[in-house]
Amino acid sequence: MYEREKDLVEAFVRGRMSRRGLLRGLAALGVTAATADLLINRATTQALAQDFDWKRHSGSGVKLLLNKHPYTDAMIANLDSFKALTGMEVAYDVFPEDVYFDKVTAALASRSSEYDAFMTGAYMTWTYGPAGWCSDLAEWIQDPEKTAPGYAWDDVLPGLRASTAWSGRPGDTLGGEGAKQWCIPWGFELNNLSYNRAMFDQAGVTPPENMDQLVETAAKLNRDVEGAYGIGVRGSRSWATIHPGFLSAYANFGQKDLNVSSDGQLSAAMNTAESKAFHAQWVQMIRDSGPRNWSTYTWYQVGSDLGAGASAMIFDADILGFFMNGGDNAQAGNLGYAPFAANPSAEAPTPNVWIWSLAMSAFSRNPDAAWYFLQWASGAEHALMGAREKDFVNPVRQSVWSDAAFRSRMETSYPGYVNQYEVSAPGAQIYFTPQPLFFDLTTEWAAALQEMVAGQVGVDEGLDRLADSVNRQLSEAGLG
Amino acid sequence: MAATAEMDSLARRRSRIGTRALPYLLSLPALLVCIGVLIPFFTAVYYSLQRYRLSQPWAREMNWGETYWQLLTDPSFWNTLQVSLSYTVLTVGLQLVLGLGIALLLQKRTRLNNFVSILLLLPLMTAPALAALMWKLMTDPNFGILSYFVSLIGIEDFRWASSPDTALLTVVLVDTWVYTPFIMILLLAGLRSLPRQPFEAAALDGVPRSFVFLRITLPMLTPYILTAALFRLLESIQQFDIIYAMTQGGPGDTLMVFQVEAYLNFFQSTNVGRSAALLLILWAITFAISNLFIKNWLRLRERTHEEV
Amino acid sequence: MEHTSTAERILRGIAIGAVVLFFIFPIFWILLMSFQTNETILRNPPSIAFVPTISNYVALLTGRLETAAGTLDISFMQNLKNSVILSVSSVAVALLLGVPAAYAFARHRFRGSEDIAFTLLSFRFAPPLLIVLPLALYFQDVGLADTYIGLIWVYQLICLPLILWIVRGYFEDIPADVEYAYRIAGHSWFATFRKIALPLAGPGIAAAGLLAFIFAWNNFVFALVLGSADKQPVTVGALAFVTASGIQFGQIAAAIVLSIAPTLALAIYAQRYLVEGLSLGAVKG
Repeated sequence: MYEREKDLVEAFVRGRMSRRGLLRGLAALGVTAATADLLINRATTQALAQDFDWKRHSGSGVKLLLNKHPYTDAMIANLDSFKALTGMEVAYDVFPEDVYFDKVTAALASRSSEYDAFMTGAYMTWTYGPAGWCSDLAEWIQDPEKTAPGYAWDDVLPGLRASTAWSGRPGDTLGGEGAKQWCIPWGFELNNLSYNRAMFDQAGVTPPENMDQLVETAAKLNRDVEGAYGIGVRGSRSWATIHPGFLSAYANFGQKDLNVSSDGQLSAAMNTAESKAFHAQWVQMIRDSGPRNWSTYTWYQVGSDLGAGASAMIFDADILGFFMNGGDNAQAGNLGYAPFAANPSAEAPTPNVWIWSLAMSAFSRNPDAAWYFLQWASGAEHALMGAREKDFVNPVRQSVWSDAAFRSRMETSYPGYVNQYEVSAPGAQIYFTPQPLFFDLTTEWAAALQEMVAGQVGVDEGLDRLADSVNRQLSEAGLG
Repeated sequence: MAATAEMDSLARRRSRIGTRALPYLLSLPALLVCIGVLIPFFTAVYYSLQRYRLSQPWAREMNWGETYWQLLTDPSFWNTLQVSLSYTVLTVGLQLVLGLGIALLLQKRTRLNNFVSILLLLPLMTAPALAALMWKLMTDPNFGILSYFVSLIGIEDFRWASSPDTALLTVVLVDTWVYTPFIMILLLAGLRSLPRQPFEAAALDGVPRSFVFLRITLPMLTPYILTAALFRLLESIQQFDIIYAMTQGGPGDTLMVFQVEAYLNFFQSTNVGRSAALLLILWAITFAISNLFIKNWLRLRERTHEEV
Repeated sequence: MEHTSTAERILRGIAIGAVVLFFIFPIFWILLMSFQTNETILRNPPSIAFVPTISNYVALLTGRLETAAGTLDISFMQNLKNSVILSVSSVAVALLLGVPAAYAFARHRFRGSEDIAFTLLSFRFAPPLLIVLPLALYFQDVGLADTYIGLIWVYQLICLPLILWIVRGYFEDIPADVEYAYRIAGHSWFATFRKIALPLAGPGIAAAGLLAFIFAWNNFVFALVLGSADKQPVTVGALAFVTASGIQFGQIAAAIVLSIAPTLALAIYAQRYLVEGLSLGAVKG
């Protein structure tokens, strides 16, 4: 290898230069794109390969079950470097999110050994872990034989490490005593406001700073902006309706989903007076300024409406607003971001987080090889490449957030994004109580919300009924 | 000679044994395949008698029918039953009326009528899940053609399947679109096979047509109507495809019919015991109806055979 | 009925027109949508004047899909192929098993025959999830997960009873004397079955086979629960597709058109058999 090429490539590997910059530099030296890729892969491989036998599972293969997502795209685009590094083969099935988790459940419930590793959220491992479907990864992380010295597990944000670990005892704190690492954080999202700057200017409003303002601003936007409604939030009959904006605002008022008694018994906590007041406001906001067929709204509709200019703002995942500011979206480049604390007396936002994670199937025939894939995919090198060039945000590693190239990319194209993140990151965590009935109870919560919005039941009565039903299910399951 | 006669009778006896075993041999493979089905059925019974959640393997234990008791005292079960029954009654009722009406319209064997009856086969041949998707596209509030039509007659903001007030109506409409042709075909075949004499006699006597319809056509057609109704009843109470593809049981619990509820119980709550109990209750209902149907249908067959 | 008045004929015409409109319009409209881009689909008020494009079909055939979240490789063609494999093999297996059994039930009143036949038919009406959900828990253990064979076996739940009962009816209609005469002429049982019974029941077998094919093609729930990623038929594939492609409505419409085209074509081509089959061989006008 010639010296100048080598210097360039090493600068890239050490993170001082973006892939695009490197390719440009190499092109100037007369290196073709194909050769350049080869050089980069080789250099990355060499950097990673120091002091660790990456080739131990050379020739074996892993199969992945993946959700259709930009993270997946970024990983697949970079797969060649994993293959070059390890000499392993990778196969995968990708499903859209609506059917994805049913597929995971079906594969794991049947103890299928087809998949070695899969994407999951932290909530799902509250089912998968106790059911014995995924492995405690601490075993691998702590084994220097199996984990490269450069993996730097401590570099992963501490809140996320804790949120993906649980003892399996209903009601126990995440990451607390006896917690097992059911999955590895991969990318995550916290919930704040993403808004259309042009529409905000047109209506003469600024990003709202508490719940009252949010309801007012949404209503004003709904009136003043032609062809767009005020605020997009999810509403389908699914747990996914509860966990983004809704729970983030709810938690900001100090409200909880469940109470845990000293002897570990669970009971419903959503029918307090504060909770009822909050629900009433939320329901009012959707009725006044939400999308017309709100009750069918999932991540996809909330996002595409913002991207198409059909909604003025969303209270949902920050990265949803991030994705909609690029690609071929009509409003690409027009979006802004703001942190949001619903409670006027709260000091900071309390966004509930969703963590896309990687887990290892307990039925994998070759767990050590699967772990090679997991540590590469959740490693710093891939995270850095994805954050600089692909849509692999929000990164879960501190080193990536400190990376100058990543920060400058965000500052230039996504105004307010890094600020939104930094203001709310300290309060960002999972605000649900971990327990195995998570999906039953949150789905029912969403159904109750739908009934309230449709006016089938009053807010107070609806919440009392919900609490009764939650308590009854907890007791049937022997949890409360 | 004697030897050959003996051999002959031996061969005949052997062939008689063969003949006796033959029907069993012929139906055995089909039977085996179906017995394979009995295994999951019995495991379902077993699961339904347990507290069995995949997410709490340690809590799995026999609870001997407690799951059923929990279901029967749970308001959401009664909601499921009520939704399933309303769906069934509405779809079957609507389709019978429409199917009979269309069959009467097309009764005469003209070229146009035959052509129309072929056209009407098309919805029936469309997969119900895909039919639901088609209607989902047509009822989209932003660009759906039906939403546009409805707005033309002055109803703005009609929300179809996404509002609890109209969700049931919308899925009933899709079901009607798919299955009315089935009833139509059966009744048309029935109408066309009715003997002519009573009608000719009535025409000669100048009996009013409403009287002919109520006193001759309808009674003679009753076995056909009953068969068609029972058949649709069986399918309708088990509806899954259309509702799942359209709303997954929402909004709220508006469309939580048996099979959708059982599916969600299994996959989202991983509550195997409850899911199995729900399905067994549904099975008990369908078993009763299917007994009625099969007996009725056999009688109908026999009757048409006697007439032939 | 000879003396129908003009007014009545007009009313009848209008009624028939309305019926045709209601039942055919959705198919027609989806077909139109499949040749449009989002731009023309989203026009308000809707209009049927547009420049047709085949880009939606091209996207499906090549498997490259432009979506809100970037390009997506989607194996819709694989779904179509799976539908063909599953439906054709299921019907073939069901015919192979079902026709001899139907003959046995029609010709020989053996002990328990009615009970067995009754049980078989009642399976047709059991809630499919009752069978399929428990299966999902141990499909892997019996080695059927991720195979076509496993699904084909489950598809027998729909195909077999259908074929059994329709074909049995047709066999019963064949006068036994014809077969006796042939056997007395010295032919074997099998030859009689093959040369006499099968051809005479031919239309019934065709009707049952076609109907079974269409029901298998249209099935949704079996593969939804038991099918692995690469074995999904179009019914499940199209649903997954809707969420995946987000807002590309023309592509959704094109996928629907491709998915229903085979059964609709069959329906038109073989309508006589279908009508016979649908009336379950009960009534032959």
